[in-house]
Amino acid sequence: MSWCWLDLLAAPVDDASAQARVFEPGGTPAGWLAVWLRRAKPSRSARRIDARLVDRHGAAAWVSLVRPPDGVRLAFDDLAVQQARRAVLAAPPQDALSTLLSDASHFEGALTVARGAGVARLADDPFARIFPGRVLRVEAGLLGAVPAPCGPTIERYGSAQPWPWDRYDAAAS
Amino acid sequence: MRLLAMSMTTHPTAGERLRPGARFPHIDLLDHAGNLRRLSDLIAGDPVVLHFFRGWWCPKEQAFLRRLLELQDDAEVAYSRMISVSVDPPEVNAAFRAGLGARWTFLSDSDRVVQERLGLRETTDTVNDPYVPAVFTLFPDLKIHRSFNGYWYWGRPTIEELRQDLRHITRAIRSDWEAPTP
Repeated sequence: MSWCWLDLLAAPVDDASAQARVFEPGGTPAGWLAVWLRRAKPSRSARRIDARLVDRHGAAAWVSLVRPPDGVRLAFDDLAVQQARRAVLAAPPQDALSTLLSDASHFEGALTVARGAGVARLADDPFARIFPGRVLRVEAGLLGAVPAPCGPTIERYGSAQPWPWDRYDAAAS
Repeated sequence: MRLLAMSMTTHPTAGERLRPGARFPHIDLLDHAGNLRRLSDLIAGDPVVLHFFRGWWCPKEQAFLRRLLELQDDAEVAYSRMISVSVDPPEVNAAFRAGLGARWTFLSDSDRVVQERLGLRETTDTVNDPYVPAVFTLFPDLKIHRSFNGYWYWGRPTIEELRQDLRHITRAIRSDWEAPTP
């Protein structure tokens, strides 16, 4: 499966495939970031992400988590979302990135994973120009690194796939 | 030390020609961000324009890359990939790419290991030892559809020629090229 579910929760849950504590930049606890490697949606606010981001052996990381306000959605093909994808491809790649989806038509945020020199650039996350973004520190054991897409493709390889999942694959559905 | 490698099982002999119908060798090179990338992983099932260029300093390359930028706007929505390769180090490729506004992957062969194996060294430039300018359009399985020798500038493909090649390859590899209709 090319995608999984992700949600930011107030407390850990028993049925997550992996989860890790998250903190605000100042160290204040910000909850738990959890993923579920299954078809069934685990929570109302869970969204699909590229499953390649999940790595139970992944080092601690900083993330930019962009989510729309409650009740707000934007077409994935909206020009602002297109331009954010172009900006991501033009910039030096981060450790990992996935847009967030709940269906085939709408952009519902993004998760960008950074370590090292890339952390400073999270403050300029192109997707955070569309919806509010939070920069958070995530403990080890949840997020890995994914090779950057070749470019220049900004389209999804099937509308169910989070961008930048970068290939058609009969097994990926 | 630069990390450069080529598969020992699939690369051609030094004298092998990169002709249409032949398979382009598997190559591994550093991208503009310093990550080791494998050509076949970058292609990942799409048609590709594989472009070898002398370096950022060459006026002909600057002109040709500006031409390739015109293709970028089509390629970004057409499930096709573009890859440019030079002997410039990753940080130079990164700066050149950013200045151009290119959003495809640049690969760096600064140790010239792949250049030697491909036989694509421009022997008339003994100062820079660059790649001889060349463009290949490839099928996803690395089969060469067409090759262009850009030593003389007019040998390089026009955007229309590249567009036709990408159409040909896409038609051949997409089983639903004929749009599904009732």
